[in-house]
Formats: sequence, structure tokens, C-alpha cells
Amino acid sequence: MIRRVIPVVLLLLLFPLVSIAQVDPGVRGGAAGAGQPLASVAANNPAGILNFFIAGQDAFEEIETVPEGLGPRFNSRGCGPCHAQPAIGGSAPAVNPQVGDATASGATNTIPSFITSTGPVREARFPFFFDAFGNPNPNSPNGGVETLYTIAGRVDAGTCTSAQISQPSFALAVATNNVIFRIPTPTFGLGLVENIDDATLLANAAANANNNFGVTGRFNRNGNDGTITRFGWKAQNKSLQIFSGEAYNVEMGVSNPLFQQERPLPGEDRASGLPAACRLNPTPEDGPDFAGSGAGVLDDVAAFANFMRFLAPPTPSTTTPGGSTSINNGKALFNAIGCNTCHTPTLKSSPSSFTPSLSNANANLFSDMEIHHMGTGLRDNVGQGDAGGDEFRTAPLWGLGQRIFFLHDGRTKNLITAIQAHNSSGSEANTSSFQFFNALTTSQKQDVLNFLRSL
Amino acid sequence: MFRSRLMQPMFLSAALLLLATGTAAAQESQFNDIVAEPKGPLKKIPEGVILVKGAEPSASDDRTPLPEQNRIFSNVLQNRYLGLSWRLPADWWQEFEGPPPSDTGIYTLAQLIPTKSFKGPLKGTVLITAQDMFFTLLPASNPIERARYDKEHLPSYYDVERPPAEVKVGDRTFIRFDYKSEVAGLHWYVLATQVRCHLVQFVFTSQDTQMLESMIAGLGEMKLPAEERGGGDAPLCIADYAAKKENVLYRVEPVLADRKFNSVPVRIVIGKTGKVQHIHIISAFADQAVKIKEALLQWRFKPYKVNGEAVEVETGIVFGTPRPRIEGTAAKAATLE
Repeated sequence: MIRRVIPVVLLLLLFPLVSIAQVDPGVRGGAAGAGQPLASVAANNPAGILNFFIAGQDAFEEIETVPEGLGPRFNSRGCGPCHAQPAIGGSAPAVNPQVGDATASGATNTIPSFITSTGPVREARFPFFFDAFGNPNPNSPNGGVETLYTIAGRVDAGTCTSAQISQPSFALAVATNNVIFRIPTPTFGLGLVENIDDATLLANAAANANNNFGVTGRFNRNGNDGTITRFGWKAQNKSLQIFSGEAYNVEMGVSNPLFQQERPLPGEDRASGLPAACRLNPTPEDGPDFAGSGAGVLDDVAAFANFMRFLAPPTPSTTTPGGSTSINNGKALFNAIGCNTCHTPTLKSSPSSFTPSLSNANANLFSDMEIHHMGTGLRDNVGQGDAGGDEFRTAPLWGLGQRIFFLHDGRTKNLITAIQAHNSSGSEANTSSFQFFNALTTSQKQDVLNFLRSL
Repeated sequence: MFRSRLMQPMFLSAALLLLATGTAAAQESQFNDIVAEPKGPLKKIPEGVILVKGAEPSASDDRTPLPEQNRIFSNVLQNRYLGLSWRLPADWWQEFEGPPPSDTGIYTLAQLIPTKSFKGPLKGTVLITAQDMFFTLLPASNPIERARYDKEHLPSYYDVERPPAEVKVGDRTFIRFDYKSEVAGLHWYVLATQVRCHLVQFVFTSQDTQMLESMIAGLGEMKLPAEERGGGDAPLCIADYAAKKENVLYRVEPVLADRKFNSVPVRIVIGKTGKVQHIHIISAFADQAVKIKEALLQWRFKPYKVNGEAVEVETGIVFGTPRPRIEGTAAKAATLE
């Protein structure tokens, strides 16, 4: 009897503590607030543009085979399965398609320990090359994508067998802490991001220069022309076309007009490249359809870029979760404690030659497009362009309410954990994040969480 | 004889071939992403360490104190460069250090939060920063102008509680500017002073104004650099001394071969003879820092004189791609309210 009573009493005693703590409301339910074309694209303004969006979406949803260009190394077989949450074009879905990719069509890949069916879609990088004994060498920076799978064993892989090609040493990388991850970035509204002038970004940076939160930041820049780059976790890519071309080549192994060769592993490329037996197709595998017409002429890379460019930004909820008062209050608190110093709520796009919805529009992206030091807790020891091992682009927050996985490596599904990860030695976000945890009341914190999940 | 003459080049060729093969193998072995048979015990990459640096600070010597070298020992914040020493308020600590100095010369000296033993119902944060005024982007060259600029550019969701004004805390004068957020119920009390051409700011934030006032009163205990009392041996800080052509007698440009687009602020100390005796690269990639230090050590300046006596001078210069300064004149014309 006593045994039964004690847990109940404990539960009753703990209940007030549990009930007053703020909680992440979780993935916002209801209809997907994203995945549709921009209003002017949906209205086919200018004439014909809707066909380009539809053709882009078709290409984006396509599942590749080896004769179509897949491999010889790849992370997944299509754009769509990974960019799927809450709709096509989004981020990692609840069920990881990479588990099925490993053995699809007879492939004989070993699934690395960090790829699980309920975990995030992941791309892996080794910060450092291994020496011949298997020790990561800090004097040999790598940082390139170590593609998860090969086509060996697939029914369409021809002469490319496991005797010719192997997966990277993922178990060794895990054992030596020499692997980091990136998850897919959502692509909604990226046409607006692409169309924000550098002058607007610089003016926003100047407006935030006198903040009292210890935030500084700077822009990553294109090595060729010196202009501001803005796509990718470290803002390393200049345009959607470059972003698409690289992803097609790196994630699916499809050579294309922007990245013409089949992609070896970073170390393989320092030695003898990909084995001839696995370079099965003439290159580039993706190109224009010279016999086609209209949107069908475009190569896939151009089609992907159009799809992302013409995708509407996510639509936030004004009432869910927590009701409009809580959401509005949360937004005000988000600004007050300085989250908006980096997560700039709105930047205006420039006049667009593509379609009216991209012209002089408010991009409510919640990012300044700058790179910031995020400290030892989030560091990945990968340098890209001017961004060092702990510098990341401010992640846009639009659409966050319906995202499942957070941070560059998808390490958490919990928004509170994600905010807490902003705190570590060397992070520019410490003060704002400290104010969230140390200066706001529980109810105020809940308002901020509700606001974020409304986006 | 014939055989040996023939054999010598053959042996040499074979040796070179072996060496070349060995070198190639050694090179290959440095760039592996596939290791068929690892040989333990294996070395791990340490957790929580930033090994791949971007732009970072460095200096020409390790004796001269640097602004970013803070330490908190026995709950006392010490900065030898600024000559500051301040006992932290009871039940406050720094869990995490701040980021490296920015390319605009901003240092995060401390970020304080309550300890777990903190008893008050309302908590808060303290942020202490230093802005090297040689490199500020803002149209403000002293604490008064900066506070006035901040007030004029205060976002609409804050309300001014106390306009910028001089206040005395202990034996030191600060410029104080307070503002609040109605919705958050939070107050920001900002106290600024200037030390060695650095704007040093204390930003106290909480819902508890009584606690904030008590913490501010504690600033009176802060130990000041000797220069504040007319003594000390810190160099005289003079903005743009290195940027004026007439002051530079000999100059070698650093050749920054790698194509980067970052701003590289550099603080230098010029000795009484005009030689550069200390270089502090505030933010640069490693290769940039090497080139800039090599070049600057060759520079010769016209010695700076005070009452006919040459004195050491501290000044700043920017290499790379300087960040644009923010236009504005209102703050310059500011007077205290």
C-alpha cells in the first residue's frame, strides 16, 4: 500500500514544478504552410512561368537511377525525399529516406551508425583527413562531403562493384570524433533571398552595429567576385543555380553543366580519382534537352533553381500554438532580448525581372545572412570561404514551426535544446540566449517558444 | 670499373625512384577518407575545441598584454591591457567566454549570469565589452557620442528611461544610459567609460531594478589603470597616426596573396625611435597575419613628441578590405542632456 502511495505523492509534489516549466509545443500541426508557388507564379505572371515552376518541381521530385546519372557516390537518390518536411522543398522528414537508399535496387551499402530511420537526413564530412594508420591529422584539413553510399551492387551499376569502390571509413570517423553532419536546408522563399541586394544586407548590418548583446558578425564572400554569398549553412554559395549544381553533384553524384565531372571523395581526388569502372556515363550526365521545347529544354540544375526560386515563403500561423496574444507577445520578447540582432525579421528584396512576387517584397526570413561565431558547442571544424570552424550563417527561422530537426547537424528535435545550444565558449549568441533563460519569466519563455513555432 | 660506373647511376635512379614512390605514398597517406586497416591505439579529435580557425587575433610578441586577454580569478575580472580589475557581484559568474575580437575591434570581456546559488526571484545578465575606437564603424569617438548615438537609434520597442548623462560611481565618471522593454519588463542600464582609446561598456540587464542599482554601485570598487590618475606607462593612443603619410618615413606594403575579403584591423605600438615595437593583429587569417607582421616590422615612423620629448604611441591601421563606416554627424554634435 505504501509502495503505491509514495509514487502518487511524489507525482503530486512534482506536478506543480512540471506544469510551470516552459515546453516546446512541437511541430505545428495542420496544413503545411509551405510548398506552393509564389502568388504571381501561380497566376502565371509572366505568361509561361508556371510551367517552369511545375517542370522544376517534377525534376526536384525525380528519383535518379544510374543510367540517369546517380552515383557512383551519392547521399540520396533525389532532392524531394530529403527536402520533404512539411512539403516538397522543405527540410528533413520524420522518416529518413537514406535508410532505404542504402540498399535500393540491390545496392550493398552499410548504413553508417548516424543514419537511422527516425533521425534526420544527414550529409557527413570529415573535418580532417586520416593518416595511413587511421588517425585524423589536424594538419590535413578536409571538410569535404564524404558521400554515404556507392552504387555497387545495384542492378544498374554495370561494372562498378564493391571490388572497385568502397564507402568512406565512417566507423573509424565516429570512433575518432572526426565526423560532422549537415542536414538539408529548407528551400521555401529562396527566390526572395536570392534577390536581396548586397546594399540591403550591408545596411542591415550597419543598423545592428551598436547592439548591446555582444553580437558582431560579418559576411561570407564569393572568392571570384568578392560579393556576399548567402546559401548553405555557412553562406558559402552565391546563387540557387550554384547551390543546385553542387548539390546535384555532391548529394546524388550527377555531373551537370556547373559541376561537369563525377565526384570522387575528397581523399580519392587527391590520389587517383574515381575508378574507371565506376564512371559509367558520358559527362555531364545532366544537360539541356536540345530537342525539347519550353521549360523542357532546361537542364535539371536550372529547373531545380527555378523551382526553389519560385517557391513561396512559409506562411506563419497567427493563432497556433498558444493563441495570437501569446504569439504576438513572444515576437515582441524575441526582439527585446536581441534575438533579432542576428535573426533579422524582414529584409526587402530588389525589383525582380522574373515575376512580381519577387519584386520589392518583404522577405520575413529571420536572418541577417551574416556568419557569426557560434562557439565550441556548435563548432564543426569545417572552413568554407571566409567562415571558420565555428562560424555559421544565421539560420533563417521562417517555417521553423513545422520543422522537425534543428541546428546544422539535426542534433535535436527540441526547440529549447536548440536555443540552449547557442550558449558555449566563443559564441556571439550567449547574451541573448542567457537573457532567454535567465531574464524572462516562465510564461514569457513560453510566449517566445509559441512565437517560434508559429513561424 | 665499367660495371660500377654503369651501376652507380642505376642505383641512384633506383634510390630516387624508391624515394619518390615513398614520398608519393607518404603524401597519399595524409589524405585518406578510406582506411582499410586502422592501426590502434587511435588518436581522437578532442571534443569542444575549435581547431579550424577563421580570422583570429595574434601578436608579434607574447609579453605585451592584449585587450582580449581577460581572466576571472577568485571571482575578480582582470584585464592587464586595460588596467581593469573588478570583483564580480556575489553569486554571479562567467560560464562561457565570449567570441574572439571582431573585425571592427570589439572585444567581449565578460558575460555574466547568476550562479546556481543565486537567491533572488528575478535574474539577469551582465555584458562587458570594449570597442577599440580606432576601428569603430559608428560615428562616435567617445562614450558621450556613443550613448547619444545609441539613444537616437534605439529601436521602437524600447523606451528611454534615463537619457545619456554623466554619473559618478566611486571615484570614476561614466556615461550612463538606461532603457527598458515594456513587454519584457526588462531594464538595460548601460555604463560606459574610455580607457586607452577603448570604449568600455557595462550592460546590466534584469527585471529587478534594485538589483541592477546595487550591481552598478559595485562598479565603484573597480580598480582603475594608473593612467587615469596621471601616472602609468601606457603608450599615448592617437587615432590615424599610422594612416597619415607625413608620419610614415618608410613603409613596406604586405602582399596578401590569398584572395580574401575581410577587414584586418591592426593595433601597433610605435617606440620612441619610430620603430614598431608591438603588433596586435585583431582579426586576420593566419597567412595574412604573417605577411602583415613581416611588413609592419620594417616600417619607420616620425617619433611623436610631447613637450619636445619622444613618447611611445599606440595607434591603429586597417589592411585588407576595410568595412564601411556608418555615416552620421548627429552624434558628433552631441552634448549631454
